[in-house]
Amino acid sequence: MRPRRAFAVCRRLLDELRRDHRSLGLLFIAPIVITGLLAFILREQEAPVPRVAVVAVDQQIGPVLASAITAAANDAGLHVVDLDAGADENDARQAIRDERLDIAVVIPDGFGAELTGGGASLVVITAGVNSAQEGGYVADLRSALSGALGALAPPGISIPSLSIEHETVYGAADADILDLFAPALVAFFSYFFVFVLTGVSFLRERVGGTLERLLATPVTRGEIVTGYSLGFGVLAIVQVALLLVWLLSQVTVPAIGPLPEFTVGLGVPTAGSPALVYGITLLAALGAVNLGVFLSTYARTELQIIQFIPIVIVPQALLSGVLFPVAALPPILQPISQLMPMTYAIEGLRAVMIKGADLSSSTVQVDLLFLAGVAILFVVLAARTIRREIA
Amino acid sequence: MTSLVDDDRDGAARAGREGTQTAGAASAGADLAVEAIDLRKTFGAIHAVDGISLSLPAGRIYGLLGPNGSGKTTLIRLLTGLAKPTSGQARVLGTVMPSRTNLARIGYMTQADGIYSELSVVENVRFFATLYGVTDRDAMLDALRLVELDDRTATLAGELSGGMRRRLSLACALVHKPPIAFLDEPTVGIDPALRVQFWAHFRAIASAGTTFVVSSHVMDEADRCDELVFMRDGRVLARGSGADLRASAGTEDLEQAFLWYAEGGTRSAGGVT
Repeated sequence: MRPRRAFAVCRRLLDELRRDHRSLGLLFIAPIVITGLLAFILREQEAPVPRVAVVAVDQQIGPVLASAITAAANDAGLHVVDLDAGADENDARQAIRDERLDIAVVIPDGFGAELTGGGASLVVITAGVNSAQEGGYVADLRSALSGALGALAPPGISIPSLSIEHETVYGAADADILDLFAPALVAFFSYFFVFVLTGVSFLRERVGGTLERLLATPVTRGEIVTGYSLGFGVLAIVQVALLLVWLLSQVTVPAIGPLPEFTVGLGVPTAGSPALVYGITLLAALGAVNLGVFLSTYARTELQIIQFIPIVIVPQALLSGVLFPVAALPPILQPISQLMPMTYAIEGLRAVMIKGADLSSSTVQVDLLFLAGVAILFVVLAARTIRREIA
Repeated sequence: MTSLVDDDRDGAARAGREGTQTAGAASAGADLAVEAIDLRKTFGAIHAVDGISLSLPAGRIYGLLGPNGSGKTTLIRLLTGLAKPTSGQARVLGTVMPSRTNLARIGYMTQADGIYSELSVVENVRFFATLYGVTDRDAMLDALRLVELDDRTATLAGELSGGMRRRLSLACALVHKPPIAFLDEPTVGIDPALRVQFWAHFRAIASAGTTFVVSSHVMDEADRCDELVFMRDGRVLARGSGADLRASAGTEDLEQAFLWYAEGGTRSAGGVT
């Protein structure tokens, strides 16, 4: 191992990339733009206020209950719509079809009698198009209903109103969804972009005939792979640093002249050490460098590198906890997710950023060890594949 | 990780040690730049190199001549250690190939340009120089001066003309001043004036003792070589100076001579026409 030769490979990569402004943009600007956009969507999205109508078919208790529910729904900030007098369930369904209504609360015929009999249920109708959003409507409604029932209590009996105070062990109770996504985003972007760039870069070496030439010099396979790790490692160092500064900090720039005051950075809180966050991300990115070199053996064109994305990147997006918690995955998929480096990167980053874990945490230790192991494994595999004869 | 990075390609270290040991034993052939002993390379059912034995004394320019697919490139790849022979042995400068350490004494210009388009001329040369263990800036400039690119050091290789790219490729192959250089179709696709220039360079460097093995499928280049090796179907048809080969075939036309040997060297040249 001559460090000079590994450094030569590293320097060559950096010299090439210095002039490749598009790839630099992909590495440094794209993650910032994408996370910025995502943060904007997650934080600023406005759920439309659902429109509610209360339909009293039951005439015994219906009208009283209906006015109580209407009042409570108004209090809860829902938008109450009046249907025609004498409207029934079918009218309510039609109103939802016509998109005049989001939720209908139906007090069915005989409700009053059933209620005195001990058990009765209201019917809530929604469109059934967006289950996540409509589930939210029903939850809003449920709290409004419990208020309405309190108002209906017979005189003399008061039902004390409960208030709930939310307290959290980790993080802030008012944490937004970005705080949960930020660790995954950091790990995923550096992994994805570094993988694609290394894969294509090494493929060009094979296809362009320069690898043939490299192998006709005294350079060793290990030196080539080390040079690649160093070169793209340097890029990953800069990329992850930029992305973390952007995600974690928030600087308010005061108004200057015609420019209004604005803030730079997403200001995602981290409970743990930013240095540890950095270390975990970098280790994952180094694994991606050598995975890129390794897989480029099995591609003949740049398009074929892109074809690895659904095989290598997308499963990790689905199974490593970026979107769905690993513990909630179907049991048959759990062992697969346990093999993915991204799972460990995200677990480690969440432990550090949300729970404030440090190096003494066994979770973080396991994650770091696994990522280091994967990086070394792919260094070895990448070096082995270079042996493959080109002709 | 040390075992990995110190690992040599294709057991090159082992081969290199054997080579050093046998170099003394084979001192009778110490002046042989290239020695091939019943060299074979098969890819599945294809016999790319089919039993070639050759001894090429140092300090001369050899031309490997043959049509496309005659095994020239595979032979060069065996001699530079980029491919392992299926059987037989290849020695370069007395060392059995493949040998990674021996590569520091070998220059290799590939058929493709094999240079980095997004690097400047001088960055390309410096990169290969460093891999060959050359750090001397003057050596890099010498190589560029040789191919007359010393006034274009800052130009990106991708912006060079085709001929200039070939010249840069040659500079990268010779920057470490190797005692032997393998050039695979160095003049393919370049204009006649540059071709003349290239051969002048080869001749100048060879006069200082460097051995050249140059492959070509253009017969009119052959007369610039000291000695020719006719190849077809992975075998050596004939070997000798251009004049000798012509005389044996009884024709003044080298192409006719090649065909005469290809037919088995029995019929008269007149019969071929």
